Amino acid sequence: MTSMHDGHDGHNTFPVSSKVSEFEILELAVRELAIEKGIFSAEDHRRFAEWADGVGPHGGSKLVAKAWSDPAFKEKLLTKGTEACKEVGIDWLQPTGTGTPSDYTFFYVLENTPKVHNVIVCTLCSCYPRPVLGMSPDWYRTPAYRRRMVNRPREVLAEFGLHLPDDVEVRVHDSNQKSRFMVMPMRPDGTEGWSEQELAEIVTRDTMIGVALPDPKVRVPVPAGEVHQ
Amino acid sequence: MQYATLMERVRHLAPEERNVLDSPYQIPNELYAALRSVLHDVGGQPDAPTPYLEKGEEDWEMNTYLTCECLGWRGAWNSEMRRRAENDLGATMYFGLPYYARWITVAAKTLVDKGLITTDELGQKIDEIRARLEARD
Repeated sequence: MTSMHDGHDGHNTFPVSSKVSEFEILELAVRELAIEKGIFSAEDHRRFAEWADGVGPHGGSKLVAKAWSDPAFKEKLLTKGTEACKEVGIDWLQPTGTGTPSDYTFFYVLENTPKVHNVIVCTLCSCYPRPVLGMSPDWYRTPAYRRRMVNRPREVLAEFGLHLPDDVEVRVHDSNQKSRFMVMPMRPDGTEGWSEQELAEIVTRDTMIGVALPDPKVRVPVPAGEVHQ
Repeated sequence: MQYATLMERVRHLAPEERNVLDSPYQIPNELYAALRSVLHDVGGQPDAPTPYLEKGEEDWEMNTYLTCECLGWRGAWNSEMRRRAENDLGATMYFGLPYYARWITVAAKTLVDKGLITTDELGQKIDEIRARLEARD
């Protein structure tokens, strides 16, 4: 492909021989024909791109940090997911007014407890709560993750470095077109007195998928203020 | 005479028995259960651990997502139609293509199937864009 911005070692990727990507050509052809025929406009594409650029795991991080700090908000988040999202600036009806064609749906937040650990997958395709977590990681979409998470969850979690005690029940939630899930991890010890902003920084993407637990020593910057969408 | 010669040749070419998956007369119920699962319904199938790569979207991949969503926004299709069309690519293409290549392939097919664009228009546009991109690189 012509424009790899894969900053990692690149192993396990297919060797690339030709200069110009056929997929890039096909995408441009479909887009330009659709715009010429008036199916959608260049402005539609630009608006959608702007929305996609604004979403990311920082949305979910803010939701979890707020829920950890505010029991009333936590209750709302667990019972009325899309409504609660508005309080941190996430509107599931964006960017079209009726949501994204792929995501507008029911949103459920799954609370981890000392006895229950939740993890999400989409066995049928790659359904993912984009408005709160952004684009799904590549591995989430692979057939291997989809195949194995449902019947060997502890093995898969161990491969991510997450070893759960036997007395913790693992619940795997299979997302679909109409139901999207996000995990609310437990607030770790050692975070007493932290601000919402500080808490948000330890709620990483993987902790909301359920393949990791928040670690007070592992912090990812989260932009302050409401989520821009 | 010609007919007899022809049949002789055919007998040499034809296998003695059918291949196992060439429309057998009978199959076990277990195989029937396995075969009738829908292509994309992979949950629980056996597989080996693979590295979990962190790979961001390339430009064409992000643009594919956006183009497919805009087609949905403006009513050319919906995401169920996209998923169905991906399954209809068949196993070789479904598992053989990169994730977003499946999306853009079925976007093009769906627009043609619905009569919103023609194969001639698509072919001409592809030639035009290839020439443009090759000049760029």
